Amino acid sequence: MTDLVTSPAPLPTSRLTDFWRVFRRNKMGLVGLFMLITIVFVAVFAHVIAPYDPSATHDVASSDIYNPPSAAHWIGTDDAGQDVFTNFIFGARVSLIVGFFAAFISVFIGGVLGIVAGFFGGRVENILMRFTDIMLVIPDLPLMVVIVALTKKPSLLNIIFVIGLLGWTTTARIVRSQTLAVKSRKFVLRARAIGAGNRHIIRHHILPLVMPILVVNAVLVVSLAILNESTLAFLGLGDPTAISWGQMLNYAFGRGAMSTGAWWALVTPGVGIVWVVLGLTLFGHGLEQVLNPRLETHHLMRPRPIVKHEATGKPLRHATRQRVPSEAPILIEVDNLSISYLTENKPPARAVENVSFTLREGELMGLVGESGCGKTTLMLGLLRLLPAAGQIVDGEVWFGDTELTALTDDEMEAVRWKGISIVFQGAMNALNPVRTVGDQIAEAIVKHNPLMKGKALEARVSELLDLVGISPEHKKHFPHQYSGGMRQRAMIAMALACNPKVVIADEPTTALDVMIQAQVLELLDSLRKKLGLSIIFVTHDLGVVAEMCDSVLVMYGGVTAEYSDVDTIYNTARHPYTQELLKAFPDLSQPDKRLASIPGYPPRLDDLPAGCRFAPRCPLAFERCHIEQPEIHQLSERHFASCHLVEKRV
Amino acid sequence: MQDYFLEVQDLKKYFLAGRPSMFNRAVEQVHAVDGVSLQLRRGEVVAIVGESGCGKSTLALTLMGLEEPTDGKIIFESKEITHANEHDRKLLRQRIQMVFQDPYESLNPTQTIGEIVGEPLDVHGLIHSKSERELKVVKALEDAGLKPAETYMHRFPHQLSGGQRQRVVIAGALVLEPHLLIADEPVSMLDVSIRAEILNLLADLRRTRQISIILITHDLGTVGYFADRIAVMYLGRIVEIGPTHEVLTNPQHPYTKALLSVVPVPNPRLRRERVILQGETPNPIHLPSGCRFHPRCPIVVERCKVEDPAYVETGESHQTACWMVGT
Amino acid sequence: MKRWRYLLGKIGWAFFTILFVLILNFFLFRVLPGDPARAGVHDPRLKKEAIEAIRVRFGLDKPVINCFESLNPIKIGSCDVNPLDTQFFIYVKNLLQGEMGISYHSNRPVVDILAERLWNTILLIGAGQILAILIGVVFGMFAAWKARTSIDYGALIISLVAWSLPTFWLGIILLFWGSNNGLPIGGMQTPGMSSQPFLVRAGDIARHMFLPTLTYTIVYMGEYMLIMRSSLLDVLSEDYILTAKAKGLSMFQVLKDHALKNAMLPLVTVIAINLGFTMAGAVQIETVFSWPGLGLAIYEAVNRRDFPVLQGAFLLIAIAVILSNLIADLMYSYLDPRVHTD
Repeated sequence: MTDLVTSPAPLPTSRLTDFWRVFRRNKMGLVGLFMLITIVFVAVFAHVIAPYDPSATHDVASSDIYNPPSAAHWIGTDDAGQDVFTNFIFGARVSLIVGFFAAFISVFIGGVLGIVAGFFGGRVENILMRFTDIMLVIPDLPLMVVIVALTKKPSLLNIIFVIGLLGWTTTARIVRSQTLAVKSRKFVLRARAIGAGNRHIIRHHILPLVMPILVVNAVLVVSLAILNESTLAFLGLGDPTAISWGQMLNYAFGRGAMSTGAWWALVTPGVGIVWVVLGLTLFGHGLEQVLNPRLETHHLMRPRPIVKHEATGKPLRHATRQRVPSEAPILIEVDNLSISYLTENKPPARAVENVSFTLREGELMGLVGESGCGKTTLMLGLLRLLPAAGQIVDGEVWFGDTELTALTDDEMEAVRWKGISIVFQGAMNALNPVRTVGDQIAEAIVKHNPLMKGKALEARVSELLDLVGISPEHKKHFPHQYSGGMRQRAMIAMALACNPKVVIADEPTTALDVMIQAQVLELLDSLRKKLGLSIIFVTHDLGVVAEMCDSVLVMYGGVTAEYSDVDTIYNTARHPYTQELLKAFPDLSQPDKRLASIPGYPPRLDDLPAGCRFAPRCPLAFERCHIEQPEIHQLSERHFASCHLVEKRV
Repeated sequence: MQDYFLEVQDLKKYFLAGRPSMFNRAVEQVHAVDGVSLQLRRGEVVAIVGESGCGKSTLALTLMGLEEPTDGKIIFESKEITHANEHDRKLLRQRIQMVFQDPYESLNPTQTIGEIVGEPLDVHGLIHSKSERELKVVKALEDAGLKPAETYMHRFPHQLSGGQRQRVVIAGALVLEPHLLIADEPVSMLDVSIRAEILNLLADLRRTRQISIILITHDLGTVGYFADRIAVMYLGRIVEIGPTHEVLTNPQHPYTKALLSVVPVPNPRLRRERVILQGETPNPIHLPSGCRFHPRCPIVVERCKVEDPAYVETGESHQTACWMVGT
Repeated sequence: MKRWRYLLGKIGWAFFTILFVLILNFFLFRVLPGDPARAGVHDPRLKKEAIEAIRVRFGLDKPVINCFESLNPIKIGSCDVNPLDTQFFIYVKNLLQGEMGISYHSNRPVVDILAERLWNTILLIGAGQILAILIGVVFGMFAAWKARTSIDYGALIISLVAWSLPTFWLGIILLFWGSNNGLPIGGMQTPGMSSQPFLVRAGDIARHMFLPTLTYTIVYMGEYMLIMRSSLLDVLSEDYILTAKAKGLSMFQVLKDHALKNAMLPLVTVIAINLGFTMAGAVQIETVFSWPGLGLAIYEAVNRRDFPVLQGAFLLIAIAVILSNLIADLMYSYLDPRVHTD
């Protein structure tokens, strides 16, 4: 939702240093890495660290058995009178060797199978994946037990092979689904189009994108292998000559450590296993967060409190109130609204700054701008539905006699949908896939009118669907059973459920085909006339605005560029951005016009230019534009523009 | 008879709708491209316009040889390439290149711009030294308007803006010096203010290098500035084809007329009556009988439901498939 | 229509998997070294004739399958054997009649031994799984809801640590602690309880169950918590959650009516896939706590080289996991309308 626009960043350094720079900030990953490094160190230098030689034979007196910790034996002795600390240190070696080698086998098999199955598809995939499915449901530890029990003498090598050869199933599945996902991406098609063969594509396009997931999975597989080895050893199926931590536990548990109260013999090896496995898990978790980062934010996080007159960093410039005068009463009046996104380690992104407009009864206002100009943020701000990082930092939103930014959360809930409802872009994602469409419409009605139930509710849902041209029997269907156009109609029906005064339509037709788009637009227009709705229509399509809207607010880089009635905007625009945008827009009625483009790209919201936000791309910019942000100037009763060029000389 | 640079004859591409299984042996067919004929001259730009599901993207992939045609013929530079073998196909790739819709998706995020643009050279073994590679990559980048090229070479796609990314895709196609460029919705994902610069870039390339371009788009608004001819597709077939000016100002097919009437015009003083077709494009599995447009056609007559219309000359190299034209 | 095809497909697939396991189970025991008869009947006092008699009794004198006298060492035999008179066919036939051979150790039919054990395992795993899922789901939900707060990090660390504990070791530690606090140290009931009234016996079993179930719960809840957390995080960032909020629903209503069911869907799949792993837990926990279930049967059979029991227990566990998977699939198709509607 934070629609920061990308632009050239500093030159990249090497990928490894990049990785380390990010990983370094991940505390869990660092702790895990530290735990792993220590244990690997212990395993490698076991001979130096261990106080005794584990292979040395010596006579065991009964007084040596299960001695508690002492100066000679820091953590006591075991059932054979041996030093537990020494065994613990050498046990690390065995566990790590088994873990790493078995995991290597598993990851290799799983990786190859997954890539082959995912990439080549068809019959190969079918057979391989069916086989994987079978292996996945067969419980692996019991199978390992059976196999190891059936091999005559369990040696370390056998155990490595058994664990390795049975542990590849999850890897294969994960790698396959990632391969499938990568394969369906356009750059693979592009590689085919330039003539690349399968080998080249796998090497240069599939592997680099599968690798991060494979690495994270490998860490998990190592830890599973270590757990499996210790379990097998504990069950008495280990190599009796290789004292692993599992083997130590097997001996201690089977030879009376419990009854003699020799906790040291039971606790110590377990701590070793937990140390390694936890280290791997934390490290894997950290890797995952770095390699496949995801924003851990969602729509139910506590919204930031509205703190006004803050975070913008400079004194606010209050422009004259902008009003488009007309007879109809005012429904919404937004006054100098400013919204910022606050992110860690970065200055706040001023996504919306000092935007004002009024919406009258029955008015259709177009909100126009390119992607990232803050138009969606502004609309979400109106409804106070900003993502967790978003914060209203200044301004007022009047809805009738109510100032929305001053309401409590509960009061705001009552305004939503009943007063102002919203139709989002992409109805597929805006409808819950596991509930019927009728149910989702009814839900909105019941929320704001709990008394409506049963037949009346059913009738109202049918009426709403009928209103948007969907036959009411479709109310029992799920969103995936609707076509794209129908879903958007259903969203509109839902938006009308509580007879709102204002409907915000946020790019409602962007993903639709031209003809379906025309159908939806016509529907909105007829509903407006029939129900006397006021609509805020958010779009980047200047043509649609010209055909439908009464007034237009053009936004650029989070600020108002120009605001007026539709005729003024299209015929006597004063802001250079509006003028350039119109030149760039194709017009079938003027086929001889040459399309112009605006050089450059929109500013990043967290790195705004010092002066006018449009100045770097503006053909008319002069010195002042790069230094000073222009105020919003009123040019006529109903025409506002923020540009130094329109300033009246006093 | 004129020698065409590219000639497509009655091209068909059907897909199976789902896999045959134990329960469902007779799988139905999706008629994605269903008898398309098209000729292209050297240096010409033809726009193929239609809504999603009309088969325009499948047509592009079939022309590229990324999909095997079910039936029909493709003749390119006087040689039939319909079912070219692997070796010929690889050589063809140097001459036919493609620009994809989504510049965010069509670049591998793990490669640098230099690697991406140079990749076709490596694949085809066209370069013999590092410096030669660099020279060609720099030239392609600068031809695509990314100057100075050195500042872009070592960046990753996510560090560029949408327009710059699309220029990288174009540079990757240019580096092979193709004769034909198939551009699949090259600007639909870009912001309005930078669409023109990409279209202008393509127009310049066509002028300076005599590259022929097939522009696949759903947007009748943009083609006027760019294409020599327009072909309108509906459900796998071209329903009207003709010179751009002709088709835009004097459309013959009712579908073309409807499409034109719903293109929004950015002038509030020109609000017009629009012909809005009801319903949605039927699925290409069960094609309607007769003329495939008849269930949605505003001027349908009995004959349309039974007989598939043939092409009628409705002007200078302007053809329309409709029973009602000229009557 | 679509739903029936889906269900039939799933059932057919489960059937096929069971068939695969049957065949695997048979050949594993013949391909790997250790002729069962020699391994099981290792008493040196037995005469050659006696061993032969036992081989006949266990059906080991017959060829393994057509063309193979035995598979380890591979001995090519006649291909003209009546296929009905091979070990493989007899194995399949016996299985169909519910016969799994006779235990080398106790001379009792394997089926009888396993039948007693099966329910004990189901009781233990069932209780442990339900508790683990409940706790995991609730905590995972809180962690996701309160993402990036200390509640979230706490839950995350607890689940990562729980995941890293070796099951048997946690069992040992808990047993060590429990035995010092008056809890029973093993088994399923105190000897001599069979004459007591039902409630007293149930209470006794519950006391015995406490530690194994606790072990089970701790080990598996971590994973469910992690999955629930990430699944709910995904769902909560979906657009339809924003729609629900825009409708004016309260936080609680959104969570209850829009997020939970959707977030549970992936969990059902993971629970199904995990069932195979949970059996690993059963083997370990039953061994530590001497709980007389299938897992302990496997442990004992391994130590006694009692191959018929091992073979039978493995088969039973595998089939149980496959069937539970099938149930999870069917449940999923019920929960997600995208599977069962056209």
